[in-house]
Amino acid sequence: MSSIFHGADRVPIPPRDAEQFTTVCSYCIVGCGYRVFKWPQGKEGGPLPAHNALQVDFTKQQPAQSGTWISPAMHSVVTDRDGARSHVVVLPDVGCVVNRGNHSLRGGTHGSVLYAPDRPTADRLSHPLLYRGGSQLPTTWQEAIELGAHVIKAALDKWGPDTVAMKCFDHGGGGGGFENNWAVGKFFFTGIGTQMASIHNRPAYNSEVFASADAGVAALPSAYVDAELADTVMLIGANSYETQSIYFLEHMLPNLTGVSLSKKRQLLPHEPHTAGNMIIVDPRRTSTVAIAEAAAGKEHVLHLQIRNGTDMVLLNALSRLIYEQGWQDQTFIQERTSNFEAMQATNLTQDLDEAITLTGIPMGQMRQAAEWIAKPKAVAVRRRTLFLYEKGLIWGLKNYENVASVVDLALLTGNLGKPGAGCGRLGGHQEGYSRPDYPGKRPPVNVDEVAIKGGASKVFWVAGCNPAGGTLNAQQFRQALAQRTALVNQALDRASGGTMQERVAAVIDAMEQGGLFLLVQDIYPIETAKYAHVVLPAAQWGEMNLTSINGERRLRLYQKFMDPPGVAEPDWKIMAMMAQRLERLYRDTGEQDRAARFSGFNWHTDEDVFLAAAVGVKGAQEDYGETTYTMLKALGTNGVQTPVKRIEGGKPIGTVRLYEDSGRFRFIPAKWPGYPAPIQQLMKDQRYPFWVNNGRANHGWQTLYDDLRKPYVMGREPLPFVEIHPQDAMTLQITQGDLVELYNPYGSVTAMAVIVDSNRPGHVFMLFEHPKGWLNSLTTGYVDPATTIPYYKGTKAGMRRIDTLPEWQQRLTFIPTNQG
Amino acid sequence: MSDLSRRTFLKTGACAIGGLCAGGALPESVSGQQVAAHPTLSMTLPYPRLQLATVPQLARAGGLLVSYPDPASPVRLLKLGKTAVNGVGPERDIVAFSQLCSHMGGTLDFRPETGALHCPLHYALFDPAKGGLTVIGQATDNLPQIQLEVDPQGNIFAVGVLGLIYGRQANILG
Repeated sequence: MSSIFHGADRVPIPPRDAEQFTTVCSYCIVGCGYRVFKWPQGKEGGPLPAHNALQVDFTKQQPAQSGTWISPAMHSVVTDRDGARSHVVVLPDVGCVVNRGNHSLRGGTHGSVLYAPDRPTADRLSHPLLYRGGSQLPTTWQEAIELGAHVIKAALDKWGPDTVAMKCFDHGGGGGGFENNWAVGKFFFTGIGTQMASIHNRPAYNSEVFASADAGVAALPSAYVDAELADTVMLIGANSYETQSIYFLEHMLPNLTGVSLSKKRQLLPHEPHTAGNMIIVDPRRTSTVAIAEAAAGKEHVLHLQIRNGTDMVLLNALSRLIYEQGWQDQTFIQERTSNFEAMQATNLTQDLDEAITLTGIPMGQMRQAAEWIAKPKAVAVRRRTLFLYEKGLIWGLKNYENVASVVDLALLTGNLGKPGAGCGRLGGHQEGYSRPDYPGKRPPVNVDEVAIKGGASKVFWVAGCNPAGGTLNAQQFRQALAQRTALVNQALDRASGGTMQERVAAVIDAMEQGGLFLLVQDIYPIETAKYAHVVLPAAQWGEMNLTSINGERRLRLYQKFMDPPGVAEPDWKIMAMMAQRLERLYRDTGEQDRAARFSGFNWHTDEDVFLAAAVGVKGAQEDYGETTYTMLKALGTNGVQTPVKRIEGGKPIGTVRLYEDSGRFRFIPAKWPGYPAPIQQLMKDQRYPFWVNNGRANHGWQTLYDDLRKPYVMGREPLPFVEIHPQDAMTLQITQGDLVELYNPYGSVTAMAVIVDSNRPGHVFMLFEHPKGWLNSLTTGYVDPATTIPYYKGTKAGMRRIDTLPEWQQRLTFIPTNQG
Repeated sequence: MSDLSRRTFLKTGACAIGGLCAGGALPESVSGQQVAAHPTLSMTLPYPRLQLATVPQLARAGGLLVSYPDPASPVRLLKLGKTAVNGVGPERDIVAFSQLCSHMGGTLDFRPETGALHCPLHYALFDPAKGGLTVIGQATDNLPQIQLEVDPQGNIFAVGVLGLIYGRQANILG
């Protein structure tokens, strides 16, 4: 009857003796705390408080925000390796200071994505797969590792380290963490020694904030409480209601509504306080803008609807306006910064008329923003402003100077190292980076171009990411994968039934002709895996112990509470299996030096790797020193904020915010360079009139790898949407829910039209990574030459209507999301 | 039919609605078989059949506030003026939803100007014309929809609930 998904109308009650674990969301940077309950199927707690683990009276309706309501999406029945079936409930933790029992749509649906052989997650990769005669067939670890190790060794011996390319996760949370990151880094950098390394969402091995690091500012310097204490919160290139939902709802909104005023007065008693203001820099009127206005009143929210690619111009204009008023923090500049004059000569000379023209933002709004950022709130009392930026800036035009221009603005106004202030990333994934040093140079090599499309590498190992759809200029990347891996397929077909030596020789021969041997390590059969010769099944969150930090450097233990499917293993263990096999192969051939490079992978537990990885974070914002799993277990979902300064009585002592008592910074000049040649070419061509921006949306997480198994989410977003202004829709005769094609010389993609005036006319916004339409088929190959970070957020395209989709028109909603 | 299983209800019950459901009025693509086949889609409890209102009572915008399946579960009954998913009545535009947001139980507000049910706690929006589909927000399920029937006299009955009502372990307390 209903074509709309609804979950079950009852959930089982955890009994008093249910096993309990603590964990943190597997998804976004915010890192909400969760409790996990597990108990045998066939058993249930009673409805009275004394008879259930939550001590809740289930005979009565619970009040709003009880923190103990289990929604159907928080529950599953899992099957462990011994065949035992158990109920599992993943419940937001009211005791966690990050989320206080709140949760996003994404984290709140973890129950839906636990592996279960009789649920939509049944298609998890459970066994290694090996390419055989046109198929990928199940095999053993022994055989998969054996072939992989022999091919890697042969290619390495023949062509050297750069013949092995990789694109791997480097983040925290699900599919990452200090343990898995350390093992990946040790394998590729210490073991292989390749420069052809790239990070999951970009074509090179780089920081997304090189400029901030050069300025002396770590990526995550502030604490979430700073958003409650700030006079002004400035969001740049971030739609936080949808992508850092609980940071926005639990820490930013209480400031805008005045709920945090008592905390301001208590913690900062010697200055006047009001409810906070918010400035949002975004080419779209997002749900974040609308909700901030609804919560705070329009007079406390300033939306700067910037034109694509002009962030730096705006930020420099704001710096200039502040400086001309004398609102800079002269003491901070003199005592804690250098290179002011170089910045002054560029940023502070930004022509203001040019700024209005380029950004599309009127001078009145810029002046208002400058006041909210830096006008003293009383005589000699500086305003506290928290600058938070994410992909709109990072992936905008010219990554290096974009980031520099916001850091410069924060330094100019002295907004570092004090409560209610800061300048850092909002973040996408959580963090959990610890690796030996990357052996390449800076700027790092563009692996997509040089190693994969260019053919410089002949082995490609992809772990925990889906570049076939997600990388820049993805259509051409897919073509390269298809052509090059097909050569190896043919070689393996010809050598089928042969000895290992014969098969490896055939692969090497194919590599001579341009062939690419592809290993894909993942939890699902993702699009990139379709091209693979070896598919390696990884464990996910909840199936191993892992550790990560969130956007305020909060380190916690994410406990294992169930087994991985089949014979899947944690990523660190897969890397270790391959390293140990290579070590033995080199020992067998008497190459002891080579063998030694692959030694030291004989870890037995997740914690062994965590302890080994401590060396890789020494002195960094992630530094966890001598912290152990036992210490973290005792700290539950609140953990400790890194850097850990010392251990006292078995308890790590952390750091709320960075630079409170130390830190010297350097201004980095930033001058707007204009649009790069590939974009200018599109701008000149009338066939591609639309600016195409893109990003995440509330319902899904990244490439939707989990969401494809959540019927609730796929019922809302079966296809990627593209937001089209009503004027443009009228011109092109597009109606709500129509299927449209977007195209340019780089590729084409289809999407479902959502007609809404969120963008300026002539600008569209598309969901960025949906397996039913990869936006990145349209992005150019352009990267900032200083950092090798792509300009993902800007491309141009033509658009045409294909037809209506009556089923989606009937089932889906077209009520605008941006109305609070 | 209060204690019919959902599967049986889907096969037989739909055409009882309002007595106006001639053969073929239910689209083939949403046959009971197809929907019931999904293991997570289930209505498992013995729901009471309770009269909520009559069709003429629904004239005003904003609808009627009633309760179902018991007084502790507020429900909003709406006549949307356009065909709605699972809508009943002569125009198939009468729908009813739990008033408690399926995120954290905020009491929803219907705004005719947006056509959405709005949650004041964390700004979730739900579309009552589309089975309670989450427009945006942090809810982990679409808004629970009350299954309705209309008899030939225009009496509106509630007969079940799709989805779990916020704040309950089971829709029928006990």
